[in-house]
Amino acid sequence: MDFEFGAAADALRVRLRALIREHIRPGFLGAFSNDPADLELTQRFCKILAQEGLLCLTWPREYGGGGGSVWEQTTVREEMWAHHEPRGAQYMGVNWVGPALMRHGSDEQRAKHLPPISAGEVVWCQGFSEPEAGSDLASLRTRAVPDGDGWLISGQKVWTSYAQMASWCVLAACTDPDLPSSQRLTLFLVPMDRAGIEVRPIASMLGPHHLNEVFIDNVRVTPDEVLGSVGGGWAVMRDALAYERVGIARYARCELLFEQLMEVLGAEWDELPPAVHTRWVRALVSLRIARLLAYRAVADQGAGIDPVDASISRIVTTTCDQVTAEVLLEAVGATSLDAGPAAVLAGAIDDHWRYAQAATVASGTIEVQRMLVARDVLGGRL
Amino acid sequence: MNAAFPPDVIEFWGAARHRFDRLGGPEFALLAEQDRALRTQAAAALADLGADELDVRADEDQLLAGALLCRASGAVALPWPVVEDLLRVGERRLTLVDLGHPRVDHGDLAGEWIGADLDGTSHLLATGSPRPAKLGPFLVPATVGARQPDIPADDVARHLVLGVWRLLGGLEAALAEVVEHVGARTQFGKTLGEFQTVRFAIADATVSLRGLEELAKYTTWRLLSASDAERQVDAIALRLAGADAAVAVLRTCHQLLGAVGFCDEHDVSVFDRHLQPLIRLPESAERLAQRLVPAVRTGAFATLFS
Repeated sequence: MDFEFGAAADALRVRLRALIREHIRPGFLGAFSNDPADLELTQRFCKILAQEGLLCLTWPREYGGGGGSVWEQTTVREEMWAHHEPRGAQYMGVNWVGPALMRHGSDEQRAKHLPPISAGEVVWCQGFSEPEAGSDLASLRTRAVPDGDGWLISGQKVWTSYAQMASWCVLAACTDPDLPSSQRLTLFLVPMDRAGIEVRPIASMLGPHHLNEVFIDNVRVTPDEVLGSVGGGWAVMRDALAYERVGIARYARCELLFEQLMEVLGAEWDELPPAVHTRWVRALVSLRIARLLAYRAVADQGAGIDPVDASISRIVTTTCDQVTAEVLLEAVGATSLDAGPAAVLAGAIDDHWRYAQAATVASGTIEVQRMLVARDVLGGRL
Repeated sequence: MNAAFPPDVIEFWGAARHRFDRLGGPEFALLAEQDRALRTQAAAALADLGADELDVRADEDQLLAGALLCRASGAVALPWPVVEDLLRVGERRLTLVDLGHPRVDHGDLAGEWIGADLDGTSHLLATGSPRPAKLGPFLVPATVGARQPDIPADDVARHLVLGVWRLLGGLEAALAEVVEHVGARTQFGKTLGEFQTVRFAIADATVSLRGLEELAKYTTWRLLSASDAERQVDAIALRLAGADAAVAVLRTCHQLLGAVGFCDEHDVSVFDRHLQPLIRLPESAERLAQRLVPAVRTGAFATLFS
């Protein structure tokens, strides 16, 4: 039994922290801001990571990857998320679009899309959720109607992160409403500048760019833009979501925020109410558990991620995110609602609390994850 | 990174479960409440497994074997102080106590006891007579005797960790009983397991135990790899997580079983009552959390960034 990642991963962690110190400005809270300089910073940083072979560390070398271990990739995830994801919107392409293309894409699709992702040159978004279909993705209403040798897609997507920044979308549409739900959906790889696509941002407590609506009006797609098989979209989505669920190392940012806040509070930390101290302790213990459950899910990766392990990991890490947010605000006290660069940790705690509210909703609600776990234990359908 | 137990340790675990099942499972623990002399059969089962020769202080394999022996003993609420035997000091069993109010599980068994607090301060204990009690039915009061050399911090840590393995075994078995129950019990025309609230409760309990299992594995490994300052902190953190998980999971078990779960003859009642000493002693969960506060401050509670 050994819980060490190994010398290569340890060295990588040191290297990543040095790169972050060198290239990411203090107070950076991610690409989702109203300041275009933040997005530009992440684009520059992605190119640096790509040049260093770190952006797609575990991808095969033929696709621009670095051939690293899953534990090195886990190290990258932890350090990036802890430091407010300086890869910006890239993580979606790196974390699940790329792996999905490798597993389900054609040779032509892999050759076309994987090199730009591994070079940090392209942003992808995910067109899954709709106004009438959130967790129940099998009931999507966006239709792909046969037209010549391709399809015309019409419908509406919502909550689509990165849609304003993205140049490509993995778009889910129903190709045959008469088939069983598991065979109705098809995934299409669609450029966001194609005629008929319109993006509208949605203002939210999460901050700018997190949520968008995407309107799709008779968008023409061709057979070579199908990811996987026609009617095989559900299987690809399930596979892809398992990658996404273990992709965000939320526990890492929580641990860093706790460390940073304790340092900033200094002697004031010792004077916190005893109940806050013990909540702080319990949160750290829970975060350790979240980290270990993520490792368990990652360890499965050789044989494909076990969806139950991925669900368990996601339930714990997202709920820990919210527990952490509450303890941090409680510890800050009277200035906890201050926001912006002048606030404690340059607004990182306010930012964390707001974003944590979506943790148990995004990428499949934890109710869906609980249903998956229950089905594994009890059998039966969702 | 390899979180798997070695194959020979897994094989030993299987043998232990099989041997303890032959005693009669949790029902045997219930019988032993009525006839305490039956506990010698538990000792015989442990002897058959070679538990006397297991040195959990010696190396990783024996520590891991000890962990799974404790897990197997918890799965049947084996009425014997397994952890206390594994960590004997000479011929004396070692138990962890609050020296101000020492209570010893199975303290009425023949033999001498050393009681240590979580700081390692230790004394001989004079154990009293069994008292009638539902919770911790084998718990006996004790009085503090002569001061003994301090118990090494590593022994205190091993004690806390092995106790959680026993607790985990009991909680897993209790939840398995409830899973079986909600799959079979029909109300309003369908099984309880078809109600979403019930499914969520089972999912949450499963998640709790999966997390506790991973933390227990990690902490056991840390006993052999972490710094002096971190080992005991990690062990206390595990015990805290175990106590919190136990309260939540057993609450779920009782709620889903309904009235039958409170009956003495039901296994979940046995698990709940017999596990209480591990959940509450030597210190409550909140006190364990308070103990960890300075460790957070100094960085002895390790995180990715401490």
